[in-house]
Amino acid sequence: MSDTLVVVVTYVVVYGSTLGYAAYLHVRRKRAEQ
Amino acid sequence: MKRVQITLLVAALALAVGGYLAFTAPLDVLQGEYTRMLYIHAATLWLAFLAFAVTALGSIMYLIGKKSHWDRAAEASAEIGILFAVVGVFAGMVWGQAVWGQAWDWGDARLATTAVMIFVYIGYLALRRAIADPETRARRSAILGTIAVVQVPLVYFSVNLFRTLHQTQSIRPDGSTMNSEMVVALLVNVAAFTLLYAGLFMGRTYIARLEAAKAADTTLAGDAVSPPRLTEIEDV
Repeated sequence: MSDTLVVVVTYVVVYGSTLGYAAYLHVRRKRAEQ
Repeated sequence: MKRVQITLLVAALALAVGGYLAFTAPLDVLQGEYTRMLYIHAATLWLAFLAFAVTALGSIMYLIGKKSHWDRAAEASAEIGILFAVVGVFAGMVWGQAVWGQAWDWGDARLATTAVMIFVYIGYLALRRAIADPETRARRSAILGTIAVVQVPLVYFSVNLFRTLHQTQSIRPDGSTMNSEMVVALLVNVAAFTLLYAGLFMGRTYIARLEAAKAADTTLAGDAVSPPRLTEIEDV
């Protein structure tokens, strides 16, 4: 795998993890508001 | 909730700018493309330090005033801090594999102290889930949250206190060892991740408030229908 691809994949994992956490909070909020 | 959504939207725009600067900033001669790891690795771990400091602040304020909102703030910040610490360490491991030839070394003080810090804060969340009574939970976790923060300066200064594989700080009070464009890219990414932290923190504390109110309602309903104790019946 090229160096650039490794760096891009790492960025995607980091941004994706925070996005995933934000999505988890969204679902949890919806449940708490019911 | 509107405030949370606006903050997260601004954070997303700031992260896009940060990502652009990270991929256009000059590269280090030796590290090449892997220089770009700096901008997410340093920014996310800085946020983990900030988040754990907020946990300590919330814990201390709870112990002083016994106000439950400080307890909720401490919990929310610890949860987000763990997220940032884990993704920051992941980025660091990929970077380490490329430039050191190994992703992890338990003999390295910075890496070992960071791992211990993450485990302690996972333990902090586990402790919270192990205690049912809200006041006991808040008091005990506040004590742990106050003590656990000593690890933050220990992790930060470990590169100065011990001989480590990890490099020392690139930005210090007496100046920076980096190119100015790299410093700008790093600072923009730190600001963007700080905004992201603020949005997630506000959202998480809002949920904790809703859940606490719901739990209080459930307890009241439970008390109303709970059977009388046998001793009370005997007394009558």
